Order: sequence, then C-alpha cells, then structure tokens
Amino acid sequence: MSLTLKSIRETAARAFEAQGLPTTRDEDWKYTDLSRISALLGDQWWQVAENNEGEIADLSVPELDAYTLLFVNGHFDAEASELPDSITITSLARLIQDEPEKAVELIAYQADAPLSSGVVAANSALATDGACICVPNHVKLDKPLYILHVNSGGTTHLRTGISVGKHSEIQVIEHFAGDHDEAGLSNSVTAIRLDENSSCEHYRLQMEAAKQCHLGRVEVSQQRDSSYTLHATELGSMLSRVDVVNRLQEPGARTELNGLFVASGRQHIDHHTRIDHNAPHCVSRENYRSVLDGRSHGVFNGKIVVGKGAIKTDSAQSNANLLLSAHAEIDTKPELEIFNDDVKCAHGVTIGQLDKNQLFYLKTRGISGEEAKQMLTFAFADEILAKMSNQTVRRYIERAAFAKLPNITDLEGMLA
Amino acid sequence: MSEVKQERKPEEFTNREYEAGFVTDIETDTLPPGLDEGVIRHISAKKNEPEWLLNWRLEAFRHWQTMTEPHWPNVSYPPIDYQSVSYYSAPKSQADGPKSLDEVDPKLLETYAKLGIPLREQEFLAGVAVDAVFDSVSVATTFKGKLKDVGVIFCPISEAVRDYPELVQQYLGTVVPTGDNFYAALNSAVFTDGSFVYIPKGVRCPMELSTYFRINALNTGQFERTLIIADEGSYVSYLEGCTAPQRDENQLHAAVVELVILDDAQIKYSTVQNWYPGDENGLGGIYNFVTKRADCRGKRAKVSWTQVETGSAITWKYPSCVLRGDDSVGEFYSVALTKMCQQADTGTKMIHIGKNTKSTIVSKGISAGRGQQSYRGLVRIAKSAEGARNFTQCDSLLIGDTCGAHTFPYVEVKNPTATMEHEATTSRIGEDQLFYCQSRGISEEDAVNMIVNGFCKDVFNELPMEFAVEANRLMEVSLEGAVG
Repeated sequence: MSLTLKSIRETAARAFEAQGLPTTRDEDWKYTDLSRISALLGDQWWQVAENNEGEIADLSVPELDAYTLLFVNGHFDAEASELPDSITITSLARLIQDEPEKAVELIAYQADAPLSSGVVAANSALATDGACICVPNHVKLDKPLYILHVNSGGTTHLRTGISVGKHSEIQVIEHFAGDHDEAGLSNSVTAIRLDENSSCEHYRLQMEAAKQCHLGRVEVSQQRDSSYTLHATELGSMLSRVDVVNRLQEPGARTELNGLFVASGRQHIDHHTRIDHNAPHCVSRENYRSVLDGRSHGVFNGKIVVGKGAIKTDSAQSNANLLLSAHAEIDTKPELEIFNDDVKCAHGVTIGQLDKNQLFYLKTRGISGEEAKQMLTFAFADEILAKMSNQTVRRYIERAAFAKLPNITDLEGMLA
Repeated sequence: MSEVKQERKPEEFTNREYEAGFVTDIETDTLPPGLDEGVIRHISAKKNEPEWLLNWRLEAFRHWQTMTEPHWPNVSYPPIDYQSVSYYSAPKSQADGPKSLDEVDPKLLETYAKLGIPLREQEFLAGVAVDAVFDSVSVATTFKGKLKDVGVIFCPISEAVRDYPELVQQYLGTVVPTGDNFYAALNSAVFTDGSFVYIPKGVRCPMELSTYFRINALNTGQFERTLIIADEGSYVSYLEGCTAPQRDENQLHAAVVELVILDDAQIKYSTVQNWYPGDENGLGGIYNFVTKRADCRGKRAKVSWTQVETGSAITWKYPSCVLRGDDSVGEFYSVALTKMCQQADTGTKMIHIGKNTKSTIVSKGISAGRGQQSYRGLVRIAKSAEGARNFTQCDSLLIGDTCGAHTFPYVEVKNPTATMEHEATTSRIGEDQLFYCQSRGISEEDAVNMIVNGFCKDVFNELPMEFAVEANRLMEVSLEGAVG
C-alpha cells in the first residue's frame, strides 16, 4: 500500500471538513440530534482536550480477574496496566511513533463503509491513542483483557484494533467510565478482525459521566468459522450513539449481538447495527432490549443485508422495549435486505408496558404490586445480561443498571 | 410411477406473457405533451370547472414547480421527463355523454369483454355498480338510480364538482394537501377524473361500489383523483381494479385517493392492480406512484385497505391511515407480487393520534425472477394516543436466487401505554412442503399455487367475494409453478 499515515490523516481531515457532524436530515441520524455536541462543547468540539491532571477515581469493575489496559483521558497509562505475555499489545501512540506503516491499516478511513459519517472521519484524522492488540494463532488467553477508558471531560478520539489469529480465543472488556461534571465527548472506533476458527467475546460497557457524549463504532470482519459475541450495555452518558458494523466474509461465521439500554432522565441512546452476510452458511443473532424511564429517548436500527451468494443464511433479530414513564420515547427500525431466496430471516419488535397478566399472577401469589413491577422489569432486562459468560461483569452491570431505576428496592435479594 | 416428469425451472412458469395486453383503437381527444399553466387552464376549461378549482390547481402547480422529485425509495428507473407527458386524453365519444349502456361505444364494451368483465353481465349478475373509467373520463355508470334512492352519491369527480360543489370544496385536499408530496402536487394540478363517493349519515351502501380503471391512449399519464366521504355511522365497500394494454413506453400513473371517515363510519377500500408490468427485460410497464390516505376524523371510525398488487413495472405507494378519532381502527392487508424486472416499494403508515386507536398491518410480499420488493412502513404512536395498539406482520416469500426482498419498518412510540408488535419473516417455499404435496400426487405447480395461496390467505380473506376470486386467479396466472 502506498498510503502513508500522513496521507490518510489528510484525506480523513478533508472528509471531515466536508461532512461535519451529521444532521437529522441524514436518514441514518434521523432520530439523533448531534447539534447538542457543538452546543455543549463549542464549534471546536473535535479539538482534543489537554491532558488534565485532575485526580481520577478508580472506576474499574471490582474483583475482576483480568489483564488491564488503562487509558486516562485518551492516553495509555503503562504503569497502571498489566499486560499478558502471550499476545502483542502496543498503544497506538507508540505504534505511530515507532512503526507508522503498521498503523496505516488501522487508521485508514473508508468513506464508503456502511454508516460512515463525519464522526468517523474525525476519528481517523485525530485519533492519537488506543490499544493495538494482536493475538497470534493458537492462543487462548487465560484471563479476559480489560480495557478501561476513564476520562474527566473534554474530547478524546480513540482507535482500538484487535486482530485474533487462527484458532485463538479472547475475551475483551471495553469499559468507558467517567465520574465528573464536565462536558465532554468520547469518540471511539474499535476494529476487530477474526481469523479462521477464532472466537471473541466482546463486552462494551458504556458508563460515561452524565454530561459526556459518547460516539462509538465497532467494526468486525469475520473469516471462516469464526465466532463473535458482543454484549453492549448502555447506561451512562447524556447522548450515546454506537454503530456496529459486522461483516461475515466467509462461510460458517457466526455472530451474536446483545444489547441493553437502561436510560433515565434526559438520556438519549442510539444503536445502529448492520450485519452483512457476504458468504453462505453464516449465522447471526441479534437481541436488543431497552428499559426507558424519565424523559429518555431510545433509538434502535438493526439492518441485516444478505448478499447474492449468501445462501443458507440463518438470521434472527429481536428488539423489545419497555417504557416505564409517560415521557420516554422509542424509535426502532429493524431492516432486512435480502438478495437471495435460500435464507431464513426473521425479525421482531415489541414495545409496551409490563404485562398486566404477569403482574396479576404475581399479585395472586401475595407479592405487592410495586414489588411485582420490579421483578418483571428486572427479569426483562436480565434476559440480555444472562447471556454474558463473565459473571463478575454481569453482576457489576446488574447493580449499576438497576441502581438507575428508582423502583428497585431489593436488588441484592433479586440477585441472590 | 413410470412417468418421470421433467424437472421444470421456476423461470418457465414466471415468464408468462401479460394476458390482458391489447390496445383498443378509439379516437382520443388528446392534448400535446407538455405542462404549463396553459395546460392546466385548458383541462379546467374542458371540464367546465368553477373558478375556485382552477385556482386550487394553479396553486398546486406553482407549489409543484418548487419541489424536487423524491428519490429515496428502493427502486430505480430512468428519469421522467414531465414535459413529454400528455396531460389530457378523453374518448371522443364522450362529448354528449352516454346515458345508458346502449349509448356506450361498442368498442369499449368489447374491451371489457376481452378482460372478462362485461358491464352488462356485471350489472345483471353481480349487482355491482361499475363506474368504469376509460382513460380519463368516466363513460358508463350503472345503478345510479338504486344508489340515489338511499342518498349515496357515486359519480365521476368532475360531475361532483358540478353537482355537489360544496361537498367537494369542503373535503378535497383536506386529507392529502396539494403540497403533500411531489406526485400529489402534480396530481392536484392536472387530475382529469376519478370517482367521488358520499355516503350520508347512517346509510349502509346497499352494494359494493366498483371502478375499473383502464389506461388506454398511448403516452397519457393518468392522474386520477378519488374522494370518498363516509358520514356518521355509514358504511361502504369500494373496489378498484385495473388492467392495461401492452405497450413499450413507460407510463406515469400518479393517483391520489382521499378517504374521510366520520364518527362510527367505516370504509373498506380494496384494490386489485394488474397494470402492464413491462416485458421480461424490464422494458415498458407502468409507473404506479400513488398517494392514498384515509383520515379517521370521527370516533370509532374504521378504515380497511386491502390491496393485491401484481402489475406495474414500479409500484410505489403507501396507503395510510391517520387515526385521529378516539377508538378508531386502521387496517392494511396487502399482497404484492414482483416478477421479471418489477420493482415494488410499498407498505403503509399508521399514525395513531386518538386514544385507544388500533391498527393491524398484514403484508405479504412474493418476489420471483429479478423482482425487487420492499416493505416500508411507519407506525407512529403520538403522545396523545393513550392505549394505542398495533400489530404488524410482514412476510416475504422468495422464489429464485436473483430476486430480492427488503423490509424497512419504522416504529416511533411516544406513549408508554401503547403496545406494538412487529414481526417479519423471509423464506422461500420449503422443499419439505413441496415434497409432501408431491408425495400426495399433487403436481409441483399445483403445490406451489396451494402454498402461495395459503401464504396470501390472510389477505385474500379480506377481499370482497368478487375480488377474492379474481385475485386467486391472478396469483395463479402470475405465478404458474414458480418453483424449482
């Protein structure tokens, strides 16, 4: 490739200048108004914040047995991190410094990629740090890899690359956390490449501070018989938008996307997912749920594209939404685009309140109405979390999620 | 069995030529192609329209000039030159207007006979009042007297403008405003004819009202305008069916249908659309860009759209329901078939505004050959729609590996008491189902027909009797043995 890092940055910067922030006139951004970002952070919202020296609280998942990579305000903190020996991990900043040619592929900006926008271009142009993880062939990492991004406000552009070699297995936990009152923006792009027969379980925990905006993108490309599972939980941030783009490139690849939104106050949470079935015999499963309280607004758009040759595709998508308050709002759009007859595709959406029959049943068993509501809300959301294989993370998220909902009184009792 | 049946490819069956393809040779009074204010004045003058309607048309036209043609649907076609379309054509024999069937041009009657819908027979046997539209002007209306007895008005809209101007003026353009969209604006400016129906308070229309649309003169766009008003507590079932002669030039058809439903009233609107779909290379065929909308203004109003779409090169329409009145109900049942190079982007919009409004959407898409089909729907539950309920089901059946089926359902909910369910499946005809039928001695072709009919049954059940038979036949003809 004749592309250099410099030329990529320039192309991306030009694209960003031309496109700017998407507006609600763009079909993909119809329900998410990003003008809040510039209102909050000014015209120069994209400018990376200076490395503030403020004290950063420990926001890591407690009692998690994992290798840790700590990023503070978008910069790798080598001292606080603990890395495994069996795989290669470099920070992007280091890679750019030492071997810029290797960073080219990771940073490359593709204008024609699905759900591409000015936000991604800005990330390509400005990302300075992130984790570059390379798992060689035949390695099964003994502990999860925990990537913690903490920030204290301001703008950060992060780019993470994960490449998993043949027959290798990895569990990655990406955790975005903050506990401050500053306005800020996290713009994160994570690119994952799964080689033959490899497997990756990816946790994406978005628990940003209340005034932080979060723009994320997860790009996955899967080779033969590989398996990818995403557990995306959206709890924090005032405005969060995540695009998940998954390409199933070779036969036998399997992907599973699980998502849970728990929103309250004026939070706005938006996930756009797109799964491209480009090869035969691939399987995709998608399961998104949202619990919306207060004046929160949830958006879900799931698109599944089955290409011409992708026969024997098996795809199912479901999206269920629970509105707890009179002012919560949901916009959902499950899309299918199929260019082939030998496929099995289904999708379903439900929106509603708690089932009256179920509430009644619990009441007949002597459970108070309030408690019955809590139990059902908990059960509704926990169905997604139950798919997590890492129980430490699951318990942590359960506590964090239900702490947000005012009605849950006996959380520990329910967890027991 | 000693006979071994040669395996037949689906293509053999789906390539069936259009059966209703012929052009009736009739003198037409046609305007030269082109569109400007002069053309609109000409149309208006030809129809002896009052001043207000001309102004209304001109306003629509001026608005249309400021609009740009929309390109968001999932269909592709060469750009349309709106200046090369002729905006008025009427059969010459209309000049003094036939009073009864005897006065109708025998050639016209012959045309209908070829299509298997002889007017006389229908009048005599089926008891259906037919307001047959031959190109842009209605030429035969039956059962007028019978309808008049109960106070139902069923006439061409141009006649309604003359005879019931206050009704037309009160309702025209209130459901689909002139500036609603590009094609609705164009239609408002140049519409030549269509049907007008008014059902008075508490009247149950004694028969099914039916209009057969025909597109006949070469190169004429058809701009029908239909306005149906169901006053309090009334009921009407309206049938619309179409076939067209075969030819090579693409034709634009941009109709507007407006339904107004007041308290406790109900309208059932059924369509069978079988316009010329173009040949197997996608040459020719009708562009069917239609705006259909029902406004449930009254409490407990009900509207039901049923459509069977098998024709047209491009179908682009979304019969919609605005559920304004409390407890009003909207229904949408659709079967769309695309084969050869047909494209369809169709679906519905359910706008819930009133309390306890309910809507049901059942959409069945069948795609064969190189057909591309999209379901695009919107369910919007406004904040005021306490206790709203929606059920949506859209299924696609794929036949052949070069076709496509797409779904784009938009769901927007702003009220937590709303309950909505949406489900969609896409699959092909199961090999096991086919095998089972064949093992029972049913031929492959019949088995496919059975399965497709079963697939569409939910929708066909909603059709009035006369149409259900026609629809079944249409599916069989269109799909003969479409499986390999």
